[in-house]
Amino acid sequence: MDRSQLGFDQNFSGAADDFPSLLRRKGLLGPTAIGPMPQNATQQQTWQPTEATTILAFKFSGGVLVAGDRRATAGNTVVYDRADKVLEIDRQSIMAIAGVPATAWEMARVLEHSLQYFRRTQLQEMSVDGKVRALSKLLRDNFGFVMQGVGVVVPIFATYDGNSKPEARLYFYDAMGAQFEAADYAATGSGSPAVRGILYYENTWGAKPLHKLSEQEAVSLALRALDTAAESDTATAGVDRSGKIYPVIKIVSREGITTLPESKIAAVFKEMVA
Amino acid sequence: MIEEPYRWVEAIANRREYIEGQLAPGSPIAALGYREGILFVTLGQTRQKLFEIYDRIAMGAIGHPGDIERLRMAAIELASTEGFTRSAADVSLRRLAHYSLSPVMKSAFEQIYGPPYLARMLFAEVGARPEDDLFLRVEYDGEIASNGATYARARQDFAVLSGTRQSVELMEAFLKSEHKPDASFETAVNSALDAWSVGHMLLQASEAKELPARDAIAQHRQEQLTIAAIEAAVLERDSSRPIRYRSLADKELRSIITR
Repeated sequence: MDRSQLGFDQNFSGAADDFPSLLRRKGLLGPTAIGPMPQNATQQQTWQPTEATTILAFKFSGGVLVAGDRRATAGNTVVYDRADKVLEIDRQSIMAIAGVPATAWEMARVLEHSLQYFRRTQLQEMSVDGKVRALSKLLRDNFGFVMQGVGVVVPIFATYDGNSKPEARLYFYDAMGAQFEAADYAATGSGSPAVRGILYYENTWGAKPLHKLSEQEAVSLALRALDTAAESDTATAGVDRSGKIYPVIKIVSREGITTLPESKIAAVFKEMVA
Repeated sequence: MIEEPYRWVEAIANRREYIEGQLAPGSPIAALGYREGILFVTLGQTRQKLFEIYDRIAMGAIGHPGDIERLRMAAIELASTEGFTRSAADVSLRRLAHYSLSPVMKSAFEQIYGPPYLARMLFAEVGARPEDDLFLRVEYDGEIASNGATYARARQDFAVLSGTRQSVELMEAFLKSEHKPDASFETAVNSALDAWSVGHMLLQASEAKELPARDAIAQHRQEQLTIAAIEAAVLERDSSRPIRYRSLADKELRSIITR
């Protein structure tokens, strides 16, 4: 019996082992791709992965608002109308997802555990740049699947940087893992062209720029934007008026994450949108 | 020569004596279950002795920093991979200590050509009610002491760790008479500091068999508080957040210290 039973490496590697590589070493996380790309194109079209669509985020006077509709689809089929695409990663970070939920939720779970693992082992919080990079690395590891036509995920990451210069920060990614810091707003998913149009218009010619909006104004803008996206995109639910299903809206601020209660969203919807 | 049983027993005894000597000056740690959670308290100037292991598990340790570090990393790795593959609710301190840490520490201790772990650890896991709190003290030889009831002793809502056996025994005797599981946070902080002082006084006067007088404890505590910093952490019972561990700053506690 030797100490390797405790399951940790005795060699000094210099840098701390990150959580995904620890999981891979223990065989608890899947490979980065499943083999060569299928040659037969007709075979590729027989199976449609479940996808989730339209998330948006923008900076307003109280921090960053992140919103997502609730629909998950597979091809033309609505799979689920109560999906939660706006996920809390730690006390001040949110990852919102568009794409394949199976991959995205797993990615969010790995990211959440990675940040905790870092804090516990290294006895300090990971920096904002470190967190942004950790998500980028997960996307890159997933790119093999994206090339095979399954598992594409395009997330938004919103966090509050309490260290260098206290402010809310907002990032969006492409499927390969490139990160882009957004100055004012970001939207991804199939309904995002409409949402980007609205946010650009509001920010440039609206009554006031996005960063000056109050919480109430920000929530109503998010609801209107998702409802507009749903108007032309079947994969986006917007607001389900008959079923009373509202988008998930969370706010990242200096105080951490606030999840808006459904009653509050419903009240804003009734007054400003419906 | 080492194949002879007598030599092996002798070697183990020497090793035990050596390790006990190395651990003897370690600053005591007191962990108290109170109404809103579990409080860890120690005093020191330099090295961090209290650590977060997982959502509901914390650790305090004395010993060689290198050995503490390896055991700490192992505990975090085991808890994190379990919490990731199953769920946070499946991470159990009892399993972590009994099935993973203890066997490895025992075999390291008994393989007399290899180095043992020079460390003594105190783990706590916060439960939904004070009755569900679990405290485990894991020794360098893999021995585990828990706060559960035995034939000789009722269940304890606290646990302590110190350099010597006498110090541990008197800290426990002190807390048995002073500490109640429904104590408030303020009361728990003050009891923990008193218990630490009892343990610390015993490290300096190892011959003592009785609890020091109350004013002697207060005076010792006062002297130590002026030269050393308080290191403290809590595991909160409130289940609204998954992560219960929170370290407390020295100045957060100075204001609620009485006497």
